[in-house]
Amino acid sequence: MKYAFFPGCVSQGGAPELYPAARMVCDRLGIELEEIPGWTCTGAGVIQEKNQLFGDTLNARNFAKAERMGLPILTICSTCQGVMSQANHRMRNPEYLAEINSYLAEEGLEYSGNSEPKHLLWILIEDYGLDQLAPHITRQLTELKVAPFYGCYIVRPTEALDIAEHPERQQSLEMLIDALGATIIDFEGKTRCCGFPILTINERNSMAMVGKHTSEVKDLGADAMVTPCPLCHLNLDGFQPKAASQARRSIDLPILHMPQLIGLAMGMSPTELGLKKHIVSTGPLEVKVGGRR
Amino acid sequence: MPENLQHDVLVVGAGLAGMRAAIAARANGASAAIISKVHPVRSHSNAAQGGINAALLDRGDDWEDHAYDTIKGSDFLGDQDAIEVMCRQAGASLIDMEHMGVTFNRDDEGRLGTRAFGGQRRARTFFVGDFTGQALLHVMFEQLIKSGVRRYEEWFVTSLIMEDGKAAGVTALEIRTGELHLIRAKTVILATGGCGRLFEPSTNALIVTGDGMGLVYGAGGQLMDMEMVQYHPTTLAGSGVLISEAARGEGAYLRDKDGNRFMEKYAPNMMELASRDVVSRAEQTEINAGNGVDGCVYLDCTHLGEALIMEKLIQIREIGIDLAGVDMIREPIPIRPGMHYIMGGIKTDIDGLTNLEGVYAAGECANVSVHGGNRLGANSLLDTIVFGERAGNHAAAAARGRSFGEFNTTAAMLQESRRIQEMLDRPDNGDRWASIRQDMGESMNRNVAVFRNEEGIQETLGDLHELRRRYENVPVHNKGKSFNTDLVFALELGYMLDCADTIAAGALERRESRGAQFRVDYPQRNDEEWLHHIVVTKSDGGPQISELPVTITKWTPEERKY
Amino acid sequence: MDVTIRVKRQDPEATGERRLPHWQEYPVSIADNATVLDALIQIREDDDGTLALRCSCRSAICGSCAMRINGHAALACKTIANTVVQNGVITIEPAGVMPVIKDLVVNFDLFWEKIKQVDPYLKHIGQVPESEYVVSNEAMLHLSGVTACIMCGACVSDCTVLEVDPTFLGPAALAKAYRFTADPRDGDNQGVSTERLWALSEPSGIWDCTRCNECVQVCPKGVAPMDRIMAMREQAIQAGYANNNGARHTDAFTESVGHSGRLDELRLPIKSVGMMNLPALMGYMPVALRALRRGKMPPIAHKNVENVEAVRRLFQKMEPEPAPPQVSTNSPFG
Repeated sequence: MKYAFFPGCVSQGGAPELYPAARMVCDRLGIELEEIPGWTCTGAGVIQEKNQLFGDTLNARNFAKAERMGLPILTICSTCQGVMSQANHRMRNPEYLAEINSYLAEEGLEYSGNSEPKHLLWILIEDYGLDQLAPHITRQLTELKVAPFYGCYIVRPTEALDIAEHPERQQSLEMLIDALGATIIDFEGKTRCCGFPILTINERNSMAMVGKHTSEVKDLGADAMVTPCPLCHLNLDGFQPKAASQARRSIDLPILHMPQLIGLAMGMSPTELGLKKHIVSTGPLEVKVGGRR
Repeated sequence: MPENLQHDVLVVGAGLAGMRAAIAARANGASAAIISKVHPVRSHSNAAQGGINAALLDRGDDWEDHAYDTIKGSDFLGDQDAIEVMCRQAGASLIDMEHMGVTFNRDDEGRLGTRAFGGQRRARTFFVGDFTGQALLHVMFEQLIKSGVRRYEEWFVTSLIMEDGKAAGVTALEIRTGELHLIRAKTVILATGGCGRLFEPSTNALIVTGDGMGLVYGAGGQLMDMEMVQYHPTTLAGSGVLISEAARGEGAYLRDKDGNRFMEKYAPNMMELASRDVVSRAEQTEINAGNGVDGCVYLDCTHLGEALIMEKLIQIREIGIDLAGVDMIREPIPIRPGMHYIMGGIKTDIDGLTNLEGVYAAGECANVSVHGGNRLGANSLLDTIVFGERAGNHAAAAARGRSFGEFNTTAAMLQESRRIQEMLDRPDNGDRWASIRQDMGESMNRNVAVFRNEEGIQETLGDLHELRRRYENVPVHNKGKSFNTDLVFALELGYMLDCADTIAAGALERRESRGAQFRVDYPQRNDEEWLHHIVVTKSDGGPQISELPVTITKWTPEERKY
Repeated sequence: MDVTIRVKRQDPEATGERRLPHWQEYPVSIADNATVLDALIQIREDDDGTLALRCSCRSAICGSCAMRINGHAALACKTIANTVVQNGVITIEPAGVMPVIKDLVVNFDLFWEKIKQVDPYLKHIGQVPESEYVVSNEAMLHLSGVTACIMCGACVSDCTVLEVDPTFLGPAALAKAYRFTADPRDGDNQGVSTERLWALSEPSGIWDCTRCNECVQVCPKGVAPMDRIMAMREQAIQAGYANNNGARHTDAFTESVGHSGRLDELRLPIKSVGMMNLPALMGYMPVALRALRRGKMPPIAHKNVENVEAVRRLFQKMEPEPAPPQVSTNSPFG
């Protein structure tokens, strides 16, 4: 299995532990990743609100490059997934696609409109097969209680994400947690917003969202929360102390990137998976899974 | 401590007519309030889909042409002075609504666009997609917010208080709290809409229960031409939800089970765009002759093309998909005639005044009369706006010369709260309101529908007598105060039974066929004996019938062909 | 079809547990094509006259029957029951965010208050024409996509910002505002609603939306409130209201990617809150220090992507020159 790899800015920026963890896990699973040369940001929905054409053209450019590689696209960022899917959805309009291609022509690129970028989470379920994970699982996670946190972009809007074709995508995180042998802590907030997009605009609201989700799950007895979105991770982990102080309580809920949870189940060490780089200490969790004595 | 709620003008009902009346009254300097059992934007004006008629002079149209089409549509039962008022005023009222912000569809020059509608010789129906009523209603609500009219939302009027033969106020149940209130008013405008739910099925919303007609009837007022009940030609199989005439206005066909356009037999010139009574009778004739499928014929839009449907008929397409699983872009949709509108109602003059001093009515609950025996599509929105405004203006002026009636409010409140308490105290074992309403609806729809005869109407009158006996013991299972809809529905049913009585009585009385009244036993129109209005008032012995002349200005009755 | 309708009820008049939210199950037998509303009406009429809900038109036009069906806001009359049955059960709850009056009936007072806050009526500056305004059909069709809103409250129910901040204007009121800011008849001769855009750029307005798409997802009429909010952000920037965190954030983000191809995460917050906004910048210090200690700060030297010139050219071609900043100092809020 080989994919054109779209890591997204944050996996090498604000959440630098994600990129190597994802690479390591994929490598061990036999999923070959070849990074799209010169890929750009998807626009994260932010550029699109100001200049949709520019934002969508950036995505078309990435897709065209992947097409040139002859490989399907794999991403490890839900926000990227959502923005790519939405741009792709809009480019189903042939006139719009032609307009965008006219801009790409200068660079000698052309996008066919037929890419289907997929998050690693979906690829594991739809292409790889969760049952194929079993032979790689060497660490018992049964005692580990994990809450899923999808965030927004990988579940909404359903039309752009082809949820009607793939209803299982709405259950994908739970399916993965279950396949990895951990215990699922379900909660209503799992598909709500983490607050990251308004961090610099209305920090109080952003912190309220972080505090609400993390404390709700903490109170349900979760050991950790797992997310396929590095932006959610930035907020839920990096800003959790601030959210806790706004909420006037302690929370201390470790937040794992999805590949980190997979890596733990595959017996990798917390250090090599980058858990030490998290703001909220993963110590108790590591003890629980026997990753440290 | 007793509250002191009082207003110069109190409008009951917050649909288009009611809001227009309240805004007009306020603009005339009156202290105005509006009371409605639902929030204004939930009102049934929402359901008007196709558009609003107006003859615009600068488009080469003529109000007299509009008037003639309306008069012919009414089968010459409409009062021509009232129709003249409406059609003259239409253009100005339409432009008013546009200036308020209604997003009317445009033509290529950016001016207001039109579509064709039934029973009219030229396209003069202005529209917003296929949700014109909703578009108008929400804009009217915006203006209501701006006007500062006091709103009593989710208050249900239980009685109209008359003092010395004059309007004095209402009692009303605040649904959220269950508290009963008395609101004093110098004038009361009823704008409560029709009474469609006393038929089953009906295109009408569940709130359309004839409250205003029941209130006026109970207070001694006149109801007129109540037998004139419109069956809309295109209501959806199953749920009976409305599929707009706009579909046929845009060119859709009606077909029988073999695909034939049967309207050529009934209206060779206007075809699908004949007046509604004519088209509904044609459909029912075909269905009765076995040319339909499961009690329906087909509305075929497939030749109109996806682009047109997605621009102009988007809502009804969704309704078809949601409620019947049929996408009208691709397949014909099964439809049948269904109860839709009542031309009859509270008898008013052209200023909305009823025969009771200080009591006004406007909109579907009123009968001015501009629709006579059959209403043209897209004249109902126009009716609400024109006569809502006139009623508001006139009521405000009348209130100026009046003081609040001196009467014993405590006694009025006590009487009403006792009546309600008596209902709540009844044993739980009687038939519930839902089963009485269902039986009434089925009986009306069986015998007082597209085709009627004496035997059937007599049967329904018998049914209604029996239903009233059951109603006297109707239990209210919910004994609570907050949001006790069980109680509200039981009270509504009283209004509905009164309306049903008057409809059946009128249908029995009018021994001819005119407009929506088709008597199989008297299949001809008979101008010599029946070119007059039938008025019904309440008496101890039941509905009391009298008659009033039809006002004819310059259009002499003639044979009606489409 | 036999199905169990599981309803979250509460009764303000009751004492004890029934006063608090609790579940009640109603087994019903309904037609295969029945809507969820049909099932609830059947319960109300045949089984339990105490069940409170609002409904009227049965055809998704009156906006009365928004409620949560299996956890998400929807119109009961537009939801075919057999499409939402899960293991023989349909779970019904009152709409979110708004306080419950009884059972499925919620209090819309704050909802309408916010509609009122956006001055929900056409405000034209200058002479009103004698006949109709002459405007394009496209403009009217575009607006009709927004005036299709039936004020059912589904978007408000599931809004992730309103869940934590009741002062946010919210998706319904903001979509209503857009209905005017995008109306060529509103505002000045060019159809620019300057005052509205100023007011909407204040806190609790257009910039407080998190872009979570919940409102787009649950809207039963395709109004897409979030997309309208995004469009107003652009209108506000074009009108010169760019001196706030939100507008600066969008500008800085677009510029960063337009310049280097990727996001410069280190500088983005600084530009967003404003270079001179020392208190806000200081607020980020503890977070930054913690991140630094953990070795997860973004690279200080932001690198350009391969062939960055191509990206820069795209950016220059497509990014319009921003309007000059508004100089007016009169806030419409006084």
